[in-house]
Amino acid sequence: MTKDLVVEKSTQNEIVDNNSFALRVESLSKIYDSSAGRVVALDNVSFAIKRGEFVSVVGPSGSGKSTVLNMVGALDRPTSGKIYIDGIDIFSLNDSEIATMRNGRIGFIFQSFNLINRTTVHKNVRLPGMIAGMSNDDVNSRTMKILEALGIADKRDQKPVNLSGGQQQRVAIARSLINNPTIILADEPTGNLDTKTGDDVFDMLKMLSHKFKRTIVMVTHNPELAESTDRSILLRDGRIEKDVIN
Amino acid sequence: MNPKDLFLLSFEALVDRKVRTLLTILMVVLGSSLVVVLNGLSAGQAAFLEKQFNTLAANVIFVSSGQRGFRDASAGNALIINNVIIEKMKSLPLISDVIPEYAGSITMNSQGNTERASVTSIDPTKLTVMLPNLEYVDGSTVKPNDRSAAIVGDTIVNPPGAANAFVTLGQTIVATSTYSDGTGKTVTVTKSFVISGILKPSGNSRIDNSVIINLDAGNDLLHKLNKYDSVIVAAATPDDVDTVQQELSDTFGKTLGATTPKAIMAVRQQAASGNAAFILMVGIIALVVGAVGIVTTLYNSVTERIREIGTMKAIGAQNTTILALFLVEAALIGILGASLGLLIGIGGGYVMSIATTTSPAGGGPAVHIPPIFIPMDLIKVWLLSLSLSVIAGMYPAWKASKLSPMVALRRE
Repeated sequence: MTKDLVVEKSTQNEIVDNNSFALRVESLSKIYDSSAGRVVALDNVSFAIKRGEFVSVVGPSGSGKSTVLNMVGALDRPTSGKIYIDGIDIFSLNDSEIATMRNGRIGFIFQSFNLINRTTVHKNVRLPGMIAGMSNDDVNSRTMKILEALGIADKRDQKPVNLSGGQQQRVAIARSLINNPTIILADEPTGNLDTKTGDDVFDMLKMLSHKFKRTIVMVTHNPELAESTDRSILLRDGRIEKDVIN
Repeated sequence: MNPKDLFLLSFEALVDRKVRTLLTILMVVLGSSLVVVLNGLSAGQAAFLEKQFNTLAANVIFVSSGQRGFRDASAGNALIINNVIIEKMKSLPLISDVIPEYAGSITMNSQGNTERASVTSIDPTKLTVMLPNLEYVDGSTVKPNDRSAAIVGDTIVNPPGAANAFVTLGQTIVATSTYSDGTGKTVTVTKSFVISGILKPSGNSRIDNSVIINLDAGNDLLHKLNKYDSVIVAAATPDDVDTVQQELSDTFGKTLGATTPKAIMAVRQQAASGNAAFILMVGIIALVVGAVGIVTTLYNSVTERIREIGTMKAIGAQNTTILALFLVEAALIGILGASLGLLIGIGGGYVMSIATTTSPAGGGPAVHIPPIFIPMDLIKVWLLSLSLSVIAGMYPAWKASKLSPMVALRRE
């Protein structure tokens, strides 16, 4: 699906917000039924995130924070509830349209970087642009601008496996930015890094939020990092326990 | 994603697993080259046979002594073909000529060089009855009554691989033949011959590999005691061949064997066609084994790259993009395997045709039957190998494309 199609789709769905919210989650529930029993991973969770906001999602293990991130990233479907990104009800889309949504409007940053190690930094970063069908000139010039902004332009021809953890996470951040997404989802982005490198990566995300007005949702275990974001949503047992402005 | 990017991603994935990729390509190479080699040899053999029989006149019948059948006890004893029999044949209707011949093998010595050769002992003026298009090199003369004159085939003069001619016109050769005298003693007969004629390449390997001498000389040299080995019977017209063959059978029963070039050709073509079908089956089985190798390789690849597939999907790759990535990998394996297979098959065909070069039963230079590679057959083998590779890649590719991104990302 092209971006035009997304716009067209948005006119068919109820537009819940008018530009002020990048993301809106409404009454989201996720229940897993298995032979071991029924597990309520998310129970009627609702929140909205403004454009440019840097929000942390915190909570103990099993609280449902990764489940929220998977739903917002359209990697999984909820049992009930709705998620709107740019006003589009993402679960009203079919699989192909969801893939296009992920490509154009969502940027992912993973704890373990998830880079393709056989190819170069440059090709890793340009991959979402290639999938989007951007022209080579556009995707190459945008890739170089982002690599320069993140201070890793000199690593462009190296393979990720030859970089430090911090550098690899910068490459992953660069990749998440290439298609200028509405929202960046970061799943424990500092989890695999030492404290100093983790702080550097976090500062970079903060810079992206404040300087370039990127909307970022970050799942973290680290309360200090969470307090340094604009807002923290604390989940416990699949419900929002606290939603605080820092 | 544009096709070039898709191709590069797939290519890099294959290069990343060099050894496994090479082994999989090797499987396809083996399959396709086997089909190419066998097809080429089979086509070469068929063309060789056709050429042999096309050189023969359409009205001739080959007659030889019949043999007691293993299964048919009623079959009579083999008939000794002598001049009485020849005269009897000549008296039959619709026969224009009866040409007896002796056959054997000799050792030839020419200026210190020695070669084995077949001998056809026949009235040399009658050679054109059997091979109407036979031509001699300039300077040749046919001397039917000269017991010391010999005509030699092109392959005798120019043995394959030899830098110089083995004999030239007017040169003398010494022919040696041996036989057993019945008491266990080996008798050696030696005779000198002057080369009076050299045949141009006739396309008939028997004649091209023969030294042709007249009947009297052959009777002495080969110690035949006036017992002919075979007879060429020429019917008045090609249309009379079946009638004459029946007449011979009626007159001499099973004591004589009579067959026509057409019949020999038909039997050989039938055998060749059965052979070709078998060969094709072997080749296709080899290709299928190669395809199973591709399934295994790509399936392993999907399992190993499951997180990569999850990541690709998370950043927006469509199911069709993932499907295409793996299918392109399968196609690349197929293209490389099929192309290399074709080249190796063509080379292998020539090597095998040389390795399987055989000497004629009577001796003489070896007969080399070159393989024939028909472009359309090569294209078919290439397309078949490629198609099987892509088909083999379908299941792993489909499996990869259907992976849930969340499940794939969680996999260690």
